[in-house]
Amino acid sequence: MGALKSLKQEYAIIDSIFLQFCASHGIFSVEDFLVHDVYMLVASTEQLANSDRLKQGINQILSIIETYHQPWMNGLVLLEDREQNKHCLSTGCESFDMLLQGGLHEGHVTELVGPSSSGKTQVCFQFASNVAMKLGGVVFLDSGNSFSPTRMQQIVTHISGSAENKINGILQQAMRNIECHAVFDVYALLNVLHQQKLKLKSQTGYQVRLIIVDSISSLIAPILGGSNAHGHALMVSVGYLLKELADRHNIAVVVTNHMVGGEGGTLKPALGESWKNIPHVRLQLSQDHARNVYAVQILRHPYMASGRNANFMIP
Amino acid sequence: MEVLRLPLSASQKGRLISAGYTSIASLSSISPSQLALELKISETEVLEILKIVSDGSRLESPGSSCTIVHGSQNAWDMLQEEKTLVRITTSCADLDDILGGGISCKEVTEIGGVPGIGKTQLGIQLAVNVQIPSDYGGLGGKAIYIDTEGSFMVERALQIAEACSADMVEYSCLYRKGSQACEVKRQPKDFLENIFYFRVCSYTEQIALVNYLEKFITEHKDVKVVIVDSVTFHFRQDFDDMALRTRLLSGMALKLMKLARKFSVAVVLLNQVTTKYSDGSFHLALALGDSWSHASTNRIILHWNGNERYAYIDKSPSLKSASAPYSVTAKGIRNSASNNKRIKHT
Repeated sequence: MGALKSLKQEYAIIDSIFLQFCASHGIFSVEDFLVHDVYMLVASTEQLANSDRLKQGINQILSIIETYHQPWMNGLVLLEDREQNKHCLSTGCESFDMLLQGGLHEGHVTELVGPSSSGKTQVCFQFASNVAMKLGGVVFLDSGNSFSPTRMQQIVTHISGSAENKINGILQQAMRNIECHAVFDVYALLNVLHQQKLKLKSQTGYQVRLIIVDSISSLIAPILGGSNAHGHALMVSVGYLLKELADRHNIAVVVTNHMVGGEGGTLKPALGESWKNIPHVRLQLSQDHARNVYAVQILRHPYMASGRNANFMIP
Repeated sequence: MEVLRLPLSASQKGRLISAGYTSIASLSSISPSQLALELKISETEVLEILKIVSDGSRLESPGSSCTIVHGSQNAWDMLQEEKTLVRITTSCADLDDILGGGISCKEVTEIGGVPGIGKTQLGIQLAVNVQIPSDYGGLGGKAIYIDTEGSFMVERALQIAEACSADMVEYSCLYRKGSQACEVKRQPKDFLENIFYFRVCSYTEQIALVNYLEKFITEHKDVKVVIVDSVTFHFRQDFDDMALRTRLLSGMALKLMKLARKFSVAVVLLNQVTTKYSDGSFHLALALGDSWSHASTNRIILHWNGNERYAYIDKSPSLKSASAPYSVTAKGIRNSASNNKRIKHT
């Protein structure tokens, strides 16, 4: 979709006379066409000589546009899709599973927010190990060189519960299920997510259950703010791409965010108000240094009350 | 809107979209001169845009049949690779212990502390230790030292290099009795030759240098450590626009991360401290705020405990939280001389 001229080769009805007619109304691209009032356009063809042909051209474009929107669904179809396709991924940590009523939901984008050293990356490792061992493929997008294979090995050993020398086969299988990409700017992130989308559409054997982006705030922070607004546009398009991947392909997405100072010295999640509505589930992590336990609190959830919290330990 | 995904400037994207080119496919069949006329920009600019577009479309081709996407690795391969990585020793055994062997390459380590605790000393020690040849268990690489405060003293570096050289001679005498015993392979002056020193005087110079480092390291492939002493100095004073500071810092952090990963170098950032008030008490925290906490993979805080210097691991994805004592001697950073050398694991 783009310039109307590009449609000229495929559809004979859209010829140069039609293009001239559109140009006289200031329509050069399909987007311009959508913005215009179609009835007015049809009415304006009445005065011209070849009005039938022009109306056919308008109809042709409308039918092309029809193929591009999402199909309608009703509540029953959505419920069935939810029950059959969107399962819960167990996180491997009991208190998390209880808090989230089953674990990470496929189709949801979950955000982990917390100050520095509050356990976000460790929790991501925990999720990744558990899903890789029992359920399927994991894609880990790392922006801070924090993916540590030795730590993953420790966690996998801990989860499987058996002695170190016996689990080599399970360990290898689990580790092979985890793909790690290093992304250092937001364009690379968009590229990788787009490639994942293409692979999921084209390759039938390729299956991903969990995508983790650690951390999305360090990728978006350099472009946010300032004089131009396209930083916000990129942030929102990343968010929508993640949601599309989660929903269409039944994947659970986890992103991590850090905190910045708010009013009165309290901390608030970074990335601002526009990002607030993009993740479905927001969880805040904190560490109690004195007792060496971590706490997680729900900030936002589609169907659970916020404020519920739980404690957990990191092995 | 695929054009949004390309790394072009906002005005270029605006022109492309208003002319109707919203997808990469629509740009593939047009000639540069025609595009230049339509967008009303010069032809060289159009050629640059088309090059970025073709790079983007090359990535999109679903040509790879295996499950590994362009540029990724699976965790098992990374585990095997990690076992072969050598770390840079700090010459203090306790400190090496809590670091899992030393400062690791491919990671950005941030070290912060109060003035006078030994940050610059540690920086110089690492710049010398990275040059230890591989038969002595080192990396045999070169060092880049970026000095923002002017605290690098060449005489001290020479002193540390001499001590390191003497240590290596002692090591070879003890462990390799034979034909190569007691041979002095590295002169202290050789150590100084392999430290590339940059002095920056403003934050723009610092950012320009970080951008230039990629080209520099491509030309000097044996650089194995980049030390920035200190990374905060030019950003703490005279910055009116805090939002700009956050953007510049996070951009610089990402570039350093990319450098560390791409060239397998260790990046060491030395930082200053500030006091934070929380839960009714003051405690020390590293400067530059919470948003800078993402700039480093590992964070180590150096502090005084009574009369001793301690290093404490504040944040690390793979190392346990622990602290260890160390001391600064005439020879450089060495083990603490006190009797209870207990390493505390918290």
